[in-house]
Amino acid sequence: MRRAYEILLRLYPRDFRALFTAEMLTAFDGSGMEHRVKGRARYFRFALKELISVVMGVAAEWMAKLTTDSSLRGRSLPDRVMMRPPGVSWEAHYGRAALQGTKNGLPSEVMQAQRRTELLVERMVHAIAHHDFEGARTYSYEERKARAKLQLLREKHKCSSDISQPA
Amino acid sequence: MSLAEKPRHGYALLKDIEALSNGRVQMSTGTLYGALRRLLEDMWIERFEQEDTSREKQAYKLTTAGRRQLQLELDRMRHLTRTGTARLRAREA
Repeated sequence: MRRAYEILLRLYPRDFRALFTAEMLTAFDGSGMEHRVKGRARYFRFALKELISVVMGVAAEWMAKLTTDSSLRGRSLPDRVMMRPPGVSWEAHYGRAALQGTKNGLPSEVMQAQRRTELLVERMVHAIAHHDFEGARTYSYEERKARAKLQLLREKHKCSSDISQPA
Repeated sequence: MSLAEKPRHGYALLKDIEALSNGRVQMSTGTLYGALRRLLEDMWIERFEQEDTSREKQAYKLTTAGRRQLQLELDRMRHLTRTGTARLRAREA
């Protein structure tokens, strides 16, 4: 019965599964144990009720997910980088996340410099597109400085370059 | 209402709801976690973080908004029972 319950839990949307599957299994085990000592028939009735409720819950969750705007209801997957693994203290986990704070393992100062360079390129392109050549020249100058700084940071942290040089 | 007293995890909630209703309501896990999900989204409850909390035994607690909502709901029910009692008395008199 537990196996069937576990399989049915996989039908829930991914975000729901990430948040509740482990807890649901624990609650199922706890209640199951309690019903098991009351006899086989009681346990069977309990398990059947649980399975039916999961099927109905799955349908309800999918309906809610598909009909609700994610920006309003936050039905998105939690950020796994920010999720604290069990047994790790808040300070240790978020301290590490703040120090590294990266998607791809780059140090945060390299990430910041990279973001600034990309932003300046975007602004330069925007300025050119709007015939603001004065502004484009300023952004170009700033971008060259930012790229030089980024290069220095990459050398300092021994990171590979993945931003293409302008033509 | 079960969370008004103290933070509880899923299984403790199931047991408390059963006790609160004198055994009339036996919630299934599917129903409970669907409700918890909605309450979390409405920010009426939040995850209660403890140092030794594992993912299997996550506790939840009422937020300030949740407590306010519970108070409103209890007031509404109190008003309803008062009105009901008054109408019964009026009919009997």
